[in-house]
Amino acid sequence: MVENIVTLLLALFLGIGSLGVVFSRRPASSVVSFFAVTISIAGLFAILNQTFLFVSQIMIGVGAVVVVTAVAVATVNLDNRGLPSESRFSIPMVVTAVTAIPLSILLYRSLVSTMGDSFPQVDGSFGSIEAVAERLFGHWALPFEILSILLLAAMAGAVAIARKEKK
Amino acid sequence: MSESTILPIVAVLPLLSALVMGSLHISGSLRGERFYALVGTIVPVLSAIVSIFPIYSVLSSGRALDSHLYEWVSIGDFTIDISLRLDPLSAVMLFIVTFVGSVIHIYAVGYMRGDDGFGRFFSYFNLFLGSMLLLILASNPILMFVGWELVGLSSYLLIGYYYDSEGSIEAANKAFVLNRVGDFGLMSGIALLFVSTQTDRFSFVDIAGGLGSVDSATLALIGGLLFVGAIGKSAQIPLFVWLPDAMAGPTPVSALIHAATMVTAGVYMVARFSFLYEEIPYIGEIIAYTGGVSALLAALFASYQTDIKKILAYSTMSQLGYMFIGAGVGAYSTALFHLLTHAFFKALLFMGAGAVIILFHHRQNIFEMGGVARRRADIAIPMLVGGLAISGIPPFAGFFSKDAILVHTFASGHYLLWGIAMVGAFLTAYYIFRLYFVVFTASGDDTGEESLAEIPSTMIWTLYILAIGTVVVGFAGVPEAFGGDFVIGDLLSLPDRVVAISHTLEWTLTLMGLCVSVCGIALAYLIFVRKSIKERNGEAIYAQPLYEALYIDRLYRTVFVDGLRRVSGWCAKVVDDTLIDGAIMAVVRGYGRAGDVMAGLQNGSVGRYAIYMLTAISLASLYILNRTGN
Amino acid sequence: MIWNPHFFTALAVFLIYIGIVGLAGRKNLFVIYLSLELMLNGINLAFVTLSRARPDMDPAVIALLMVGVIAAEAAIFLAMIVHLFGLKRSVNSDDFRELADGRSR
Repeated sequence: MVENIVTLLLALFLGIGSLGVVFSRRPASSVVSFFAVTISIAGLFAILNQTFLFVSQIMIGVGAVVVVTAVAVATVNLDNRGLPSESRFSIPMVVTAVTAIPLSILLYRSLVSTMGDSFPQVDGSFGSIEAVAERLFGHWALPFEILSILLLAAMAGAVAIARKEKK
Repeated sequence: MSESTILPIVAVLPLLSALVMGSLHISGSLRGERFYALVGTIVPVLSAIVSIFPIYSVLSSGRALDSHLYEWVSIGDFTIDISLRLDPLSAVMLFIVTFVGSVIHIYAVGYMRGDDGFGRFFSYFNLFLGSMLLLILASNPILMFVGWELVGLSSYLLIGYYYDSEGSIEAANKAFVLNRVGDFGLMSGIALLFVSTQTDRFSFVDIAGGLGSVDSATLALIGGLLFVGAIGKSAQIPLFVWLPDAMAGPTPVSALIHAATMVTAGVYMVARFSFLYEEIPYIGEIIAYTGGVSALLAALFASYQTDIKKILAYSTMSQLGYMFIGAGVGAYSTALFHLLTHAFFKALLFMGAGAVIILFHHRQNIFEMGGVARRRADIAIPMLVGGLAISGIPPFAGFFSKDAILVHTFASGHYLLWGIAMVGAFLTAYYIFRLYFVVFTASGDDTGEESLAEIPSTMIWTLYILAIGTVVVGFAGVPEAFGGDFVIGDLLSLPDRVVAISHTLEWTLTLMGLCVSVCGIALAYLIFVRKSIKERNGEAIYAQPLYEALYIDRLYRTVFVDGLRRVSGWCAKVVDDTLIDGAIMAVVRGYGRAGDVMAGLQNGSVGRYAIYMLTAISLASLYILNRTGN
Repeated sequence: MIWNPHFFTALAVFLIYIGIVGLAGRKNLFVIYLSLELMLNGINLAFVTLSRARPDMDPAVIALLMVGVIAAEAAIFLAMIVHLFGLKRSVNSDDFRELADGRSR
């Protein structure tokens, strides 16, 4: 019972936030909406018993992504003149909205075909940090290490791009 | 039929010498006249001499000589050979071509003296001779057609001999084109003949044998088409307009080609195919009437011409008309007889005209000449002989041959045609003596004091050779009514239609013909010598149209030449520029625009690209959704 | 009733859908970036739903690794936007058309 209500609320939040991201005129509004989306996602992770992911999502999703995005928006500091002139419901958007539907349907059907009709019962250790660690440093050790290299490369890349050219 | 090794020599020798002289002239290594004169005359004379024996042998025995050279086309059972055949018909033609041809070649040495292209002239002249020989010696229609075309080519080359003169070039083109029109008919006729007879070797002998399987309508068509070719070559109505213009060529050319030989090829062809024309007498009627109309009209035209060569040109057309009258009513031997006599006296007349032209420093209007008989009697006498011959005065050749045609026409019941021919005879005598009196006897105003040019002697004694021939040849065809044998009829052995006519009637008709001719001479005498009837040449309303040959030439020019030019111009502008270029440019621009559209797809906007990808993905998704059964 | 795999999956797919619309339809570089993030989050949600529905820990671990990737990508993307803004003083994707062959329309 509780799960249902919570899920519904979180879903609502999520939906409004996602619409806000895509349909806002100013980037700042999009960032705030995205913040809402990220929080909702974290909540949904929690309701699905993934406690560690819930924390990670908040730490990284909000603490890193949203913050950095907000900083970037602030750095660029556009006023209304600098915004691109675009209407809310332009033709490309309508076309996209229509053509993306079949893909979405396909995606939904294929995903749903792998699952059952309801969630099975799990014990308390499901989704706990121990369970995550056990799999992460066991089966998924290699991808984990590669991810660290990826992060290193990303760091170096970001620095290289953002630096000003000095003669 | 026996083999002859001499025939190929006769035909090939002139062609070979033409090649040699032509090459030497082009290479510029031999400029002197003497070489060309020698080679150019010896070759025809040699051909003439060499062919005496075969001619005699064929005519006396009545059997033909064959000479097979090689196989030209061989497809399965069917073959076309290069082979020559000398039968009585081609023997007579051979005699005419080689003998008269040789005489004219010798004459030409004198006439063309001093001309730059001497070597070129004799090269062309010999080429013509060889082609003509090929034409008459051919044993199958295909080879004959080769000769026919080559003769047309030689005619073109020789008419256009003075190539710096635009008039000559135009005349040469006109001759060739009109010939071509006729040749179309000839080719169609031969093709139709080939298709309908289906013989193995397609020689004249074979065709004659294979005619039985062809139905009458097809035969008529074939005969008609072949005659169209003859119309073109022999300058009958309506394809005659080239002949007067052909006089732009040197006079020996006019004498040989356009009087004695080439133009008679049409008559020869009809005689050759006499076995075919015998099956379709009504086509013969058409031939005869065409000849009759041509004869009459040409005689009228000739009576109003002022250029000496044009008078003779129309005269040739007229006499050819008589030959076709003869051939049309079935008197093939008679037609050939007239061909023989005409060759002699017409060549003679042309040669004399050439001498007169040179006398007056290359002027050709008869009204600017006069009194030649007083000063150069040696030219006047042969010309008089020629004039009497063509008018049909005995004992000269023309009397016997023309008379034979007239009698035969009357006797076979063609009274209208006979009447036309009689009027033509009257006019013939008139115009030829108009020429003679104006040029030779009448003194004119001041032409009596003018100094005349020198003439080489070769030109004179050749006149006399032909003059003698004109007298002698006539006796080959003396009809029975006068105690003769009509030898030539026997010799030729052509399928003449036999007509029975009483001797009295024949004498009457002959006498009438004679009267008519004398009247013509008398009229000419009265007008031009006595000047008792004023020549109202320029004043009568019918004079100008007749002078212009009823404007037929003008008509052809406007309709065909100018019309074609306008169509071509229109084509060049509309079809070429607008349609074709326009279509191509439209395609090119279309490609350009398509390219631009395609380029527009890559406008650099990433959102656009994303949409492209999305479209593709969504289509794929739809497909998958369909297949997995929703 | 609501708390079932179908609902969560639908939610995830909805996120992805909206993300696609924003990616292809908007011109502001920031919005494009955020739409991309939206899609990635949607994918993560799908993974976690899968993990709970099986139940299996592996998809959850994958989602965790994805979060790391998201962080890396965020750094790069935003550095690039700032750099591009420095070049052309604009965050309109229409102004960056160098990929076209000189015939931008």
